[in-house]
Amino acid sequence: MGKKRKHGETEVAAAPVKKDDAAPERPQRTLVGWKDKNNNEARESASAVGFRNKEKVLVTCSRRINFRYRHLMLNVVSLLPHCKKDNKVESKETKGATLNELVELKSCSSCLFFECRKRKDLYLWMAKCPNGPSVKFLVNAVHTMEELKLTGNHLQGSRPLLTFSSNFDHNAHWKLLKEMITQIFGVPKEHRKSKPHHDHVFVFSIVDDHIWFRNYQISVPHIESDKIARGGLDNMTLIEVGPRFCLNPIKIFGGSFGGPTLYENPFYISPNQIRALEKRKKAGKFAKKVKAKTRRKMHEQSNPLEPDEFAEMWKE
Amino acid sequence: MVVEKKGLALLKENKMEDNVEMDINQEMSEYEPESESDEEDDEHVKLIEPSKTAVYNTDGLLDKLGDISWPDNVGWIHKLSIDIDQEQQVDVNDDLARELAFFNQALEGTKRAFEKLQSMGLPFLRPSDYYAEMVKTDSHMEKVKGRLLAEKRNIEEAEERRKARESKRLAKEIQAQKLKERAKQKKEDIESVKKWRKQRQKSGFAGGDKDGEMDFSFEDGKGFERSSKKRPGVAPGDRSGGKARQGGKGKIQKKRQFRDSKFGFGGRKGLKKQNTTETANDFRDFKRGNAKGNKKRKM
Repeated sequence: MGKKRKHGETEVAAAPVKKDDAAPERPQRTLVGWKDKNNNEARESASAVGFRNKEKVLVTCSRRINFRYRHLMLNVVSLLPHCKKDNKVESKETKGATLNELVELKSCSSCLFFECRKRKDLYLWMAKCPNGPSVKFLVNAVHTMEELKLTGNHLQGSRPLLTFSSNFDHNAHWKLLKEMITQIFGVPKEHRKSKPHHDHVFVFSIVDDHIWFRNYQISVPHIESDKIARGGLDNMTLIEVGPRFCLNPIKIFGGSFGGPTLYENPFYISPNQIRALEKRKKAGKFAKKVKAKTRRKMHEQSNPLEPDEFAEMWKE
Repeated sequence: MVVEKKGLALLKENKMEDNVEMDINQEMSEYEPESESDEEDDEHVKLIEPSKTAVYNTDGLLDKLGDISWPDNVGWIHKLSIDIDQEQQVDVNDDLARELAFFNQALEGTKRAFEKLQSMGLPFLRPSDYYAEMVKTDSHMEKVKGRLLAEKRNIEEAEERRKARESKRLAKEIQAQKLKERAKQKKEDIESVKKWRKQRQKSGFAGGDKDGEMDFSFEDGKGFERSSKKRPGVAPGDRSGGKARQGGKGKIQKKRQFRDSKFGFGGRKGLKKQNTTETANDFRDFKRGNAKGNKKRKM
């Protein structure tokens, strides 16, 4: 442990020096619009020398998880080099407390907990650990990386670009979620296990009040590692790597794995309710049929047919 | 305000479940026709009306946001996050449009990020000779490749089959056309011959025997008849191609006759090989010594 920390410190010391070197020899040919911003950023980074992203994410799942959801979890683990995978967690009642303990034990600062219920419903807890907040999502439309339709591939541990749709800034809870996602899914700069290039991009997009996740490989024709060939940006294509999933936020809590509720999805129906509803609908169908039958019977009884005048015609 | 809301929530908490159930019931009764679409993708079912008791604590959320967010002056390079405007509302149930929207977002975001990175002068693209562990293993990528190839092959095969079918149909049509033409030609020929004949008859065989080149053999109606004369020396049922009658090889014929008389020719063979009382009682060929082997076997 001690060794690691030392290594980290040296990195911290090295990083700002590099930046200072890079700042003056910035090429003049860049777009004007960007240049000002870059200057600002350079100043910012110079002032934020002390900042270092030490995010560590604990990834676990509940017992009795589905294979599909387990694979999804493993995919997430492979995407996040700054995460620690842990054993499945059992207990149900004291879950919050045990999970918090576990996260502390692993010295992580945030947690992704995949909770599978009834072997078909997957819930994802996203928590910032010592003191909140935490979010509970329902996970829908899961596609794992193993699917052969997703043909892309990228370096394991390269830092992803995160793209957010602009409607993340419309509401307070989306803002909070965006911040949490950037912290958890963004790989810390100069992380030990991260690789230097950027060859994949994450998409977080809010459609229909759900957060949709996609992961694309970036393939650009290029010659050197810092120059794009002429027109290379136009020739850039994205190939989907996976996994895919869709998060439906249920609740946001103030603490980690508990605490006061800050947000509740007003449109949310639990999958149990949905199933019950469907069942009830079917039951209703049968009841309706029975009712119709009895009604018909009653009707026939109350209005008997008139005796046919030709009934006796052929008897003679 | 928050406290008020909470109080409200507490008051309504015990009612809430009933409310939800009622809502659902209402939904059921009111939205019968929509129910089928719900069944199709139950993943996106949601309440039609927002429940009124839901908590929304804006101040708390913003507080928490302030707590966890990084300092403002953190450089972009730490976050690598980019916001993209969604041009228009995306229909969730239209898979293609939705995926396209995500793709466009990713593409736009990547372009902007690369511009930023380029202007910062940082290397960001993987050189072609940089090999490292990938997210998907080589064996998996092999599978992916195999599937792609198989798909391509399937498409090609289907295309070929379609082409073959089409060409067959075309050939059939052409053949029919040809037959028709041939029939027409024949008809025309016959017609012309008839015409010519009539003409000739009208003119009272003016040409007579002089124009011998017009003296067709089929004119008499003989041409199409088969000759009633049989081929010489061939019996009607003969399959040997007329060789049976020839009988030129007298020596061989004689030998055959001799052998037939000796070994027999034709007739049932079964009776000759069956036992009769005589042969059954005949022990001349029975040898006792054969029993030895049996004894040995028994031991």
